[in-house]
Amino acid sequence: MNAPGNQSQSKIVRWIDHRLPVFTFMQHELYDYPTPRNLSYWWNFGSLSGIMLVIMIVTGIFLAMQYTPNATMAFDSVERIMRDVNFGWLMRYIHMNGASFFFIVVYIHLFRGLYYGSYKEPRELLWMLGVIILLLMMATAFMGYVLPWGQMSFWGATVITNLFSALPVIGPKIVAWLWGGFAVGNPTLNRFFSLHYLLPFVIVGVVGLHLIALHQHGSNNPLGIDRKGPQDSIPFHPYYTIKDMFGLGVFLIIYAIFVFYMPNALGDTQNYVQANPLQTPPEIVPEWYFLPFYAILRSVPDILFIPAKLAGVLCLFGAIGVLFFLPWLDTSRVRSARFRPVYKWVFWLLVIDVLVLGYVGANRPEGWFIVAGRVATLYYFIHFIVLFPVIGWLERPLPLPTSISAAVTRKGGARLAGASTPMEKP
Amino acid sequence: MADTAQPKPMDAHVSATRRDFLQIAATVVTGIGAAIAAWPLIDSMNAARDTLAAGAPLDVDLSHLQPGQQIVVLWRSRPIFVVNRTAPELKSLQEAAVLNRLRDPESAVDQQPDYAKNWHRSIKPEYLVLVGICTHLGCIPEFTPQPGGTLGPDWPGGYFCPCHGSRYDLAGRVFQGVPAPYNLPVPPYNFVSNTVVRIGENPAGSSFDLNDVEQL
Amino acid sequence: MSKLVLWLACAALLALGAAPARAQEAQPIPKNSWSFSGPFGTFDRAAAQRGFQVYEEVCSHCHSMNLLHYGDLVGIGYTEEEVKAIAASKQVTDGPNDQGEMYQRPGRPSDAFVPPFPNEKAARAALNGALPPDLSLIIKARADSSPIKGLSGGADYVDALLQGFKEPPAGFKMSANMNYNIYFPGNQIAMPQPLAGDDVKYADGTKATLPQEAHDVATFLTWASEPTMEERKFTGAKVLIFLLVMTGILYAAKRQIWADVH
Repeated sequence: MNAPGNQSQSKIVRWIDHRLPVFTFMQHELYDYPTPRNLSYWWNFGSLSGIMLVIMIVTGIFLAMQYTPNATMAFDSVERIMRDVNFGWLMRYIHMNGASFFFIVVYIHLFRGLYYGSYKEPRELLWMLGVIILLLMMATAFMGYVLPWGQMSFWGATVITNLFSALPVIGPKIVAWLWGGFAVGNPTLNRFFSLHYLLPFVIVGVVGLHLIALHQHGSNNPLGIDRKGPQDSIPFHPYYTIKDMFGLGVFLIIYAIFVFYMPNALGDTQNYVQANPLQTPPEIVPEWYFLPFYAILRSVPDILFIPAKLAGVLCLFGAIGVLFFLPWLDTSRVRSARFRPVYKWVFWLLVIDVLVLGYVGANRPEGWFIVAGRVATLYYFIHFIVLFPVIGWLERPLPLPTSISAAVTRKGGARLAGASTPMEKP
Repeated sequence: MADTAQPKPMDAHVSATRRDFLQIAATVVTGIGAAIAAWPLIDSMNAARDTLAAGAPLDVDLSHLQPGQQIVVLWRSRPIFVVNRTAPELKSLQEAAVLNRLRDPESAVDQQPDYAKNWHRSIKPEYLVLVGICTHLGCIPEFTPQPGGTLGPDWPGGYFCPCHGSRYDLAGRVFQGVPAPYNLPVPPYNFVSNTVVRIGENPAGSSFDLNDVEQL
Repeated sequence: MSKLVLWLACAALLALGAAPARAQEAQPIPKNSWSFSGPFGTFDRAAAQRGFQVYEEVCSHCHSMNLLHYGDLVGIGYTEEEVKAIAASKQVTDGPNDQGEMYQRPGRPSDAFVPPFPNEKAARAALNGALPPDLSLIIKARADSSPIKGLSGGADYVDALLQGFKEPPAGFKMSANMNYNIYFPGNQIAMPQPLAGDDVKYADGTKATLPQEAHDVATFLTWASEPTMEERKFTGAKVLIFLLVMTGILYAAKRQIWADVH
């Protein structure tokens, strides 16, 4: 076994590494870690997600030092952060917009996995851990949104907690238990703050498992074929460290433009009005990253003997739950959509479908929005439950290259069959 | 390493120095960025604007303060002692037997504004104004004006800190042989009338800031 | 790479475009040019001070601004001495004193703006059951008419609303104690027309026309809703310059390191 820590020049490093092999571990997993040599920029979004998690936790810890989780004081304490605390406005805007950017990055990461079949054998658990991270993120984001105790915080919390009342028999009891009272109130705010502080560290734990699972078989790649030998890999450092850092720089520029020049663009103006339990805002809309799911919730009509309310809730959770089964719903023999002439296009139908759902979710359920919402919801489930297995069976994949190195070192670089797809590395 | 291809040697036209320079520059600039980004977080833990603004001067009415009594008021989250000292107590401040046992009898260390740098450490001899925080480790010393008693026959009356036994006289001057190093600080104050003292504001012409003292 | 940026930009735009179109039967809000709009915009101090005068002499009889302190007014160009004088002209409830009673004293810069009513019930009792909203954040809470929910959207709304009081058209059914305003959603607003022009005599000699007063008070309220805006934009410029340089160096280093792989 190669143990670089033991060969280090530094006596201290050798001493520590002999007892606690952290240096060997870092050498293996961060420096030498063999990575496919053909990863495109779409592979940057995994590390970007990790960095967003760190940014959110760090700013969150410092914001929590100034925030007061009490229904009468929460709103004012957030405004005190904005006005009086040194750089409070900066921490708050970074955290507030950070939620949006965290979701942007994670959604792109997820769709990358969908396009290149990164959920397929042997990465099923890697994928499922990712879906768990998504669920935890959603819970964290929802509870964090309640903390400023604005109108949308309060009414969003009311609507979302009421989802559970759709469950037969135990529903109302669960809702009262979530609230800790007769309605959303101070006890609710307190527990949401506690959980909002806890869950990110649970996410850190699951991210750790996600990385262990990743490093077991290494990254998938745009060709979707396994590495066959050393010629297919390059060490993670410096090649992907520098590539990730460059991607981070570009990402931070876009993020900074929002934080400094349009910090409220992605938020709701109603959240600058303090929560008022006696007045519902004209329209209750979740943050943009929940809109597709919100649309599914509202679109579902009565199904047979299931009332619309329960059916909507079931479909909402089902929309994420179905992701757990993708590794087995997908019957294709190849991973990458580059070699799947039919799926390559069907993938974009899903992207469009989700965007339609998001648009429907942002608008009142009136007129054609109802129809569009229902069609898009139906398609969402058909896409995964019907099209995934059927296309896998019927589709004739293109011939795969013999190896990664053969493909990328061919004359003219990575020009391959299917190389003109939009996901191609620029 | 065995399953990783060794990168090919550098192309001849890219000199090694330029490659080193770029990599060092990239590392340095990223490091600087991370260091700068830490500053707002650290600074956010300093006193906020509203906290600083809330330390406005405080008026205390002395008309009900009898000789020999002390009142304690809160100013900038700190206990402020205001004492109306009796004539015998004032006399004890000048006794050589007591002065010999003090660490800083002349108030040489900057623990008070210039207008309190005198034998009684105050503007008016009878009225003492002190920040009631032991210079050892921040406990509140007890007002113990009676001479003698459990503090020993040579106790002239003063302040006794219950935490670690530091002793001060009735002008807040620290005794020798106790853990506290400095006299109790005197805050900025002035008299707006004969019976009203304003804590936190210097008399006209003085500029003393409590943050300037040797140790709070 | 440029494609990726394009994609991100599209995603951001979609998120913006997906913002709900609120039910708005009222007239579209006219767009104004504001001193504080744009990446380099700053608050026009003179306008903000005039706006504060309008707030003081007119609006503050009904509207509180609970998040503001007199000391904050240094931010729109008043000196420490002027702020002390403004604060001292107010009577602030403090206490309890040694007798256990609350008492009135002149204000200090650290005091919050004195509200016109002690509580919500008192306000409703005095004003036909209507509750005038607190104005501390009104600009940010009404920024919907701007695509990025920027401050100018809220300022445009307040500016328009103050000038939008008209006679109701024939046949329009008004509820009791309501007033007609062409810019208010639903057109019926509980607030009677607050400004008509020449409501104040400006200290700097500016003519107090209705558009001038509306413009000034909107400027003041915008500053009040985000006093840190100038610091934000100024910091943002420095951060972006740094990030551009950093990203440029990282890109060059990336090209160099990858030169032998491609």
